[in-house]
Amino acid sequence: MAQPLRFSCMHFMPYAHLPEDHKQYKSLWVDLSNKHYDPEKGHTLYQRYLKELVLADQLGFDAVVVNEHHNTVYSMMATPNIIAAALVPQTTRAKICVWGTPANLMLPNRLAEEYATLDVMSGGRLEVAFPLGTGMEYWANPINPATAREKFRESLKIILQAWTADGPTTHYGTHYTYRFLNPWPRPLQRPHPPCYIVGTGSPETIDIAAEYGFGYASVFVPMERSYELVQVLRKRAKEFGHTLRPEQFPLLTFIYVADTDEQARTEYLPHLKAFFEDYVRTTPQYLAPPGYLSVDQLKIRAAGADKMHGGFDLDLLSKAFFIAVGSPETVAGKLSHWAEWMGSSHINGVMHVADMPHWKTVKNLTLFAEQVIPRLRQSEPQRVAAE
Amino acid sequence: MAKLKRDELTVDGVRTVMYSAGSGEPVVFFHGAGTVDGFDFLEPWADRFRVIAAYHPGFGESGDDPTFTELHDYVMHYLELFDALKLGKVNLVGLSLGGWLAAKFVSEHNDRVKKLALIAPAGIIDPKHPMMDVIKVPGDQIPGLLVSNFEVLKKRLPEKPDLDFIADRYRESGTVARLLWEHPVQPKFMRYLHRIKVPTMIVWGDEDKIIPVQHTDTWRKLIPHADIKIYQGAGHLVHLEKPEAADAIAKFLG
Repeated sequence: MAQPLRFSCMHFMPYAHLPEDHKQYKSLWVDLSNKHYDPEKGHTLYQRYLKELVLADQLGFDAVVVNEHHNTVYSMMATPNIIAAALVPQTTRAKICVWGTPANLMLPNRLAEEYATLDVMSGGRLEVAFPLGTGMEYWANPINPATAREKFRESLKIILQAWTADGPTTHYGTHYTYRFLNPWPRPLQRPHPPCYIVGTGSPETIDIAAEYGFGYASVFVPMERSYELVQVLRKRAKEFGHTLRPEQFPLLTFIYVADTDEQARTEYLPHLKAFFEDYVRTTPQYLAPPGYLSVDQLKIRAAGADKMHGGFDLDLLSKAFFIAVGSPETVAGKLSHWAEWMGSSHINGVMHVADMPHWKTVKNLTLFAEQVIPRLRQSEPQRVAAE
Repeated sequence: MAKLKRDELTVDGVRTVMYSAGSGEPVVFFHGAGTVDGFDFLEPWADRFRVIAAYHPGFGESGDDPTFTELHDYVMHYLELFDALKLGKVNLVGLSLGGWLAAKFVSEHNDRVKKLALIAPAGIIDPKHPMMDVIKVPGDQIPGLLVSNFEVLKKRLPEKPDLDFIADRYRESGTVARLLWEHPVQPKFMRYLHRIKVPTMIVWGDEDKIIPVQHTDTWRKLIPHADIKIYQGAGHLVHLEKPEAADAIAKFLG
């Protein structure tokens, strides 16, 4: 490994109290009535989830990661910057990653301002990822999915201009006009906080990352496809004059550690099953609003459908996605292998899923920090040499 | 009865596929937000007219133009097409979204149109009888909403939709989203409907589930000279369900 492994702790902050009759709903996104959301329970969950991320910081994770989704039990982070702001004073060391608000879902100056605020408040600990947003977000927001990609590009350009050029500047574009682009504050990190593009491997998102030299956080992309897209991205980035570093390819990994493999599976699988069967369950229509995908991409995805969003077969899933469940040794072995194979030095661990209780999350975080991270750090050649 | 003949031409850079038959005064059909209903109802008319039906950009066999983001782009496209075909005055027939387009076209270009016939046209804002927001409706439910007698449409649909069929429909819905996602209704359209001066006929099925037949009241107010015919027991595709509706249009056109 060319550089030390980095460990991020990602939290989806789900609303873990599904209605009793939830199996009757085809989708737990977009149209599941918010009458099922009990704010009292929500309050307790926020308190608990924030504690879990603070614990991750205390235990030595390098980063805490939050993201954005709307109209769903999957995530209570419709406004992730507010979550991030709550984490700033409670954490001291970990980077705070907002991965993130779709650049085209909010006014770009406003997003530039919020991220800059977080960066300044946290003393330069912010990292940002720009997703296009799932199809579901477009049913929830008044944003046209058919022009989403061009608007995303324009928004991104404005945000970077706001961060890097001395204001006031101007922008006269297709979707936005800025006569005085001059946001206060500016980010603390120069030229700007580290950025990633979030995507599922479509050529468009890969090209954006390549063009800007940003990292690429792929989500719910099968392993083999992840591998391919990293190769494509490295090559494309070179064509734009960028050499991407291993930490720019975070591996989204479902992680659960217990004393033994068997115990880990027993404790974890019910929650992972709930995650894939219920929390991500939605309809093809919500996944692909009109114009959101090119016709070619639609065909590719329709052909490969049912791998997720409503089904659970652990063997199939374990072949498709990065899922490390087991003893510290097992988990460390898998992560080390995947990092090597992918040329990545960045493990983005999902340490809590679905209705996993607090004690399991604390146990998982603690065992990972105390027994997995040291194992992986030790195996790094340059560390060994230094010691 | 003449069969429709396929032609392919480039209109302002967009590959445009056009079906036509017959000779005489041109009758141009503007299809709606989907294209499975077909153009063949025009064939009997070819005995008396030169019937022309093109796929709009982004629909059916025509190419895409992602710069098309509003209905006005389609008005411009058809002006180009009419010029290319050297058509003088045309008779316009518009179905649903195509009816909205045809009415908009005429409100801006009375001089290019002889007569206007609208089949359950979209575009009217009636808060008491809102048009169905078809963008929200899952694709597999749409065919059932288009007609009262499903047999009429069934023969035009694949027995089991394959990936290509689904992808074609997805592409068309994407084209519609470009135009209408943010503003499925547009008050400005009604604002200028009174400018339609040409003889106008409007036909509607009283069981239309997509656009309520009550919209005829607003059309009557905005175009007082329009001849409005309502057919009992027919849905949105009234011209297919009730051949007499199509006959009435042909008769009206001359």
